[in-house]
Amino acid sequence: MQDGAELTADDVKRSAERALHPTTPNPNASYFENLAGYEAYAAGRADHLTGVVVEGRYVVAFHLTKPDSTFPYLVALHTLRPTCKTAGDRYSDTWLPCGAGPFKLAPNDWQRGTSLRLVRYDGYFRPGLPYLDAVEWTFNMQALAQRVRFERGELDLARDLTDADWARFTTDARWRGLGVVEADTSIYGESMNTRIPPFDNVEVRRAVAAAIDREHQVLVQPSRMSVLTQALPRALLDDPSFAGQRYDYPAALEHMKKAGYPYDPETHEGGWPHPIEYLVYDQSLTFLTAQLVQQDLAKIGLVIHFKMVSYAAFLTLQERMGASAMSNGNWVLDYPDASSIFDPLFTTRAITPDGSFNTAFYSNTRFDELAARAHLETDATVRHALYREANAILCDEAPWAFTFGHHTFDMRQPYVHDFASHPVWPLDVSHVWVDRAGVALEHVLGGGLR
Amino acid sequence: VRFLLRRLGWSLFVVWAVVSIAFVVSNLLPGDPARMVAGVQARPADVERIRQQLGLGDPALVQYAHFWRRLVHLGPSVIDAKTDPAHANCAVVLPLGATAWHVDLGRSAQKRQPVVDLVATRLPRTLALALQYVFARGLGWLPLDGFGTTLGEHARCLVLPALTLGVYGAAYYTRLVRDEMVVLLQQDWVRTARAKGLSPTRVVLRHGLRNALLPIVTAVGLDFGALMGGAVVTETVFRWPGLGELSVKALLDRDGPVILACVVVTSMAIVAANVIVDALYARLDPRVRSV
Repeated sequence: MQDGAELTADDVKRSAERALHPTTPNPNASYFENLAGYEAYAAGRADHLTGVVVEGRYVVAFHLTKPDSTFPYLVALHTLRPTCKTAGDRYSDTWLPCGAGPFKLAPNDWQRGTSLRLVRYDGYFRPGLPYLDAVEWTFNMQALAQRVRFERGELDLARDLTDADWARFTTDARWRGLGVVEADTSIYGESMNTRIPPFDNVEVRRAVAAAIDREHQVLVQPSRMSVLTQALPRALLDDPSFAGQRYDYPAALEHMKKAGYPYDPETHEGGWPHPIEYLVYDQSLTFLTAQLVQQDLAKIGLVIHFKMVSYAAFLTLQERMGASAMSNGNWVLDYPDASSIFDPLFTTRAITPDGSFNTAFYSNTRFDELAARAHLETDATVRHALYREANAILCDEAPWAFTFGHHTFDMRQPYVHDFASHPVWPLDVSHVWVDRAGVALEHVLGGGLR
Repeated sequence: VRFLLRRLGWSLFVVWAVVSIAFVVSNLLPGDPARMVAGVQARPADVERIRQQLGLGDPALVQYAHFWRRLVHLGPSVIDAKTDPAHANCAVVLPLGATAWHVDLGRSAQKRQPVVDLVATRLPRTLALALQYVFARGLGWLPLDGFGTTLGEHARCLVLPALTLGVYGAAYYTRLVRDEMVVLLQQDWVRTARAKGLSPTRVVLRHGLRNALLPIVTAVGLDFGALMGGAVVTETVFRWPGLGELSVKALLDRDGPVILACVVVTSMAIVAANVIVDALYARLDPRVRSV
């Protein structure tokens, strides 16, 4: 490890107990509730996690109270990363990060909100890696400064570029081909409260799902948004044969008719007779897309009235039962499995009177059964089949009208090699290497150098 | 001394009152601070545990007492955890840089300067980006952003943010000083000074500007306090991690302890600026000492 000590199974157990101790402010601790002994340990009734057993110098076993196919993903979360012995048995916010990764943080090399400098850890367990001597990340840089610095060669990578920069870099011959699109790991959609009229009527929800023109929406940020027609990001499930939710205006009108609220686009008569309150907060992408939703839904006889609140109030009201008829929902994968979206957003057990992540307050017995079975299923093929069926149910019953996914667009300098965005660790640079001299020579001698 | 002690006593009362009001308002705001700390996707069980760890489940009065105990004892607190010397550094240096040249500009502006007035009324963001574009990108004389690591770099990095804040307030100061000077330079004692044969510079500085300083000192004191917490746009554009940016982020995140910390620092700065202004009043105008 970075303090010079050998990483052993004891360190893994100590790190797990340190991370899951009741005094540690760990926002992911409850993910490990299936770990044997977690409940007693988290409540302070036990000194050790009985479910984490050291079986040898380099062997550690995690015992679960019930089978869970997602557990390998959970163990890989940064929460349980092995920490150096110098980190101690209990968490303290003054400790200097120290682990077994490819780079280490030197003292005073972290300026909060400004920059972070990491230097190579020569004892990294993968031989020969990393290639870079050091990496310096700069935070909160404004778009103009980032673009200028990148063009001047002061930055090797530029992340999360604006649409204007995206247009410039993808059309300029000097930079074309050097862009990197990060994976879509998030979903956005219009959450409809299934317990508040008119969204207690599944046909109205289907009408909304068919009325939203997703191609139109992604024009708001063409470099970062992509059309989403299902409950899962395309990085997880990309099946072109599955229709999912599509923009289909005649079908939307037909669904409104089936719901009992026919709307005539010629005379503008009919539709749901009351305005629908739509919760929205300013300073967000969804404030822009909400206005497009308002226009689309007006064409099928649903009148949207915005209720503007602060972000904190938005969260409170959106997640309170009966407080909001409609709002924009979004979620980012915590780990690369469909359960990261299905469990918190759409299962019945996720419904609570307050603080409910299931903002549609949607409940479907078959869906719950599929989600639960997927957890127990260790065969990946069978599990994916269960997820596909669950996904189809959500697309059909439409607790959300799924609208778009969101990703970032990065640029690298021509001398930066092997930078490929990873869907789980988008900024892993352990394989990156730079060759300024080679690019300079190539520039002078032409392509013959290759 | 009694004058200053009286002012200091009132200042302490003002700081206590402001912080207490901020505490009440912070508790009345909608939203869940524990949720914002844990992250929007944190599960309810984790949010609840963090709420308990932060003491947010305690009655409001207990939280209030706990807050003051940590503040007065200067023990570990959220301020320590979330800020670093750069914040304090930026918070003080930026206003100082800006206000210093405000006064100098005003002193030299004894006649109308329409260009300065026009430029100074532009929005700070536009101005900041324009300055950045010309002096950093175009001419390459100054850094685009950041605050450097050495004293020399600090100084170079300070120029554009201070210029932005300075230009923005320049119109007000220019008009303020000009109006005062125009009136004062027509007074009898100024005519007498000229008649004695004093140089124009001496007349302006000693007999004009000194008497015009009272309203200027007031404005500088108020501006200094406001700039301590209000230079959000400038801090953002030039990537100076200052108090303004921290305050806005804390408000958006509903981060009560940081909001309170910012209020404490900003209110103390404003109060301190006012005490200094009062002291300067007494120095500049002996009549004030008897008030």
